[in-house]
Amino acid sequence: MDLFLQFLTNGLVVGAFYALSALGLTLIFGLMRVVNFAHGEIYMLGGVTGWFFTSALGLNFFAALALVIVSMAVLGWLVDRFLIERVRDQGEEAGILLTIGLSIFLANLTLLVVGPAPMKVVGPLTEGPVFLGPVVLTKLRIVAVAIGIILIVGANLLIRKTRLGQAMRATFQDPMAARLAGIRTDHIYACTFALGCTLAATAGMLLASIYSAQASIGGLVSLKSFVVVILGGMGSFPGAVVGGLLLGVAEAMWGGYVATGMVDIIGFALVIVILLFRPQGLFATRVERA
Amino acid sequence: MKLSAFGCLTGLVVLLSAPALAEDEIKIGLIEPLTGSVAYNGNSVVEGAKLAIGEVNAAGGVLGKPIKLVIEDGQCQPANSVNAVEKLVQKDKVALLVGAFCSSATAAIMPVAQRYKIPLITAVSSKADLTEQNNPYFFRAAETDALMARAFAKILATSLKLTNVAYIGVNDDWGRGGVEEFSHDLSDLGVKKAMVDYFDHGSTDFFTLLAKLRVAKPDGVFVAAETQDGSILVKQIREMGIDTKVFGVGSWATADFIKLTGDAAEGIYAAVPYASSMDAPRNQAFVKKYQDAYKIKPGKYGAAGYNALQIAAAAIARAGNVDPEAIREALHKTRYEAPNGIYQFDAKGQAYGFEAVLVRLQGGEPKVVASSPVDAPH
Repeated sequence: MDLFLQFLTNGLVVGAFYALSALGLTLIFGLMRVVNFAHGEIYMLGGVTGWFFTSALGLNFFAALALVIVSMAVLGWLVDRFLIERVRDQGEEAGILLTIGLSIFLANLTLLVVGPAPMKVVGPLTEGPVFLGPVVLTKLRIVAVAIGIILIVGANLLIRKTRLGQAMRATFQDPMAARLAGIRTDHIYACTFALGCTLAATAGMLLASIYSAQASIGGLVSLKSFVVVILGGMGSFPGAVVGGLLLGVAEAMWGGYVATGMVDIIGFALVIVILLFRPQGLFATRVERA
Repeated sequence: MKLSAFGCLTGLVVLLSAPALAEDEIKIGLIEPLTGSVAYNGNSVVEGAKLAIGEVNAAGGVLGKPIKLVIEDGQCQPANSVNAVEKLVQKDKVALLVGAFCSSATAAIMPVAQRYKIPLITAVSSKADLTEQNNPYFFRAAETDALMARAFAKILATSLKLTNVAYIGVNDDWGRGGVEEFSHDLSDLGVKKAMVDYFDHGSTDFFTLLAKLRVAKPDGVFVAAETQDGSILVKQIREMGIDTKVFGVGSWATADFIKLTGDAAEGIYAAVPYASSMDAPRNQAFVKKYQDAYKIKPGKYGAAGYNALQIAAAAIARAGNVDPEAIREALHKTRYEAPNGIYQFDAKGQAYGFEAVLVRLQGGEPKVVASSPVDAPH
């Protein structure tokens, strides 16, 4: 029983991290219909810039996090205004090709600049164990999950409650009508992409303080994020959260009771099952584009 | 129509970029993972290799010509490594091949090298059966898991007073091989097997695996993992509050591993074929040269790349020409004085005679606690 509780906790913690990593991807797809294959590389850049600010410049973790958020928002905004804008309204294929190219470019640029060595982001706390009854955790993990929850709730509130969020949803439902109503849709698209990139990069930095950052992890992150998003339903916010937790717990249970050597099989087995029985995902809101 | 135009264009580009037959240099092909999860270690091999070639060329090259290193990214994948070899042989016309990093990738390129009759030296791949395939063109300038296990099982069991050991390895040929060989040799010495488990390349979270480890309560844990996976794993063993002796194989005796692992690296043991703290004059000279070039102390893979290319260059010099058969013959007569001992090849192409060491990480430095020559396998 104790072991089960430990596995469940591990699953939920890792699941929360998965949800956080996938949030940016589902947001950009849900609102912009852009399948962002450079998602993993943006996540990786979050970790690498986080390393640069904490280890190389010696900044405090939270100051560095703020800098990462700002710089990645700017990067996301620029990418949308200068790249994605050119292929907007040309169907999803053009966007896919563009972001695949971008992912290759970013990964290799990072390899060129900082090299392939794993990098450590200095975390805000010590890494000793914390015992909660029979379950072991670390302070850093608890803090990371807390920050993750704040980000998830914050992003959700931003979209549901603010004027910017309203404009985002309006633009997504009908860009023409939104333009006629006076919304600067170009600006909204760029903000949405910047928000998605910021979420991905924050996840990257947070998790790099627990694991490590490396130039070539992007592909793996994208892959896991796609699993999460397909499980939850493309573009659904609660879907990403539930999909992440589901994947985390399923992996922990499989790893705990069967074998950790084949744990990656679980995510894809789940995806196949979901696609067979509920192809729109667990939570998809079946909206058609106008 | 568009497609065929594209095809023509590619053909043209390939034709135009074909080399203008530079016969005034000798080419050696190097296949290592430069991207992907072991890219970091692959790059260390390349650094060592470049250092060796720099030295050889500074001393006038071989046969009066400079050596040119042609480096390809095999990504540790069998298919990509085979493509790299095809390109190196057909387009670059290399005289000799060095690579690939991962045992599974090396196994894939061995028959290709044999088909083209080009000698192939691996500096790293340690899966024992590679040298058992009767491939006359294959040479392994590295230890095997079996040789390491035989050299250190007894030292480990007695000096760490092990009675009950858990085994954790990365889920590939190398990790599984290391776990099998060490568990076999330690079991022969009466050490009980508490647990055996594997994890996938690029895993980041080991808490589930470690929860099982905590319940198994071993007095030692053996780990076969490379820098990135290994550093995260060792860190998480301490984060989980598991206070057991950690020892293993992989590139652990390096500055980067220690930096990444932090305090958790303190007191762990690693069985490695090379450590920068090895106490030999040749090694001290090598460490200094490496540090001057890369601002970092060489690790297992930097030394491996250096040794392999020194062996290759010496063999070409001994052969007297770039005929692959002559180079193959010359390789068998290798007696190379490396920073870590003397390398010779047995009839199957397996290197022996060099020293391997057991190091303990203390205060951020790998301290040598035991040293054992790697004997020729019987």
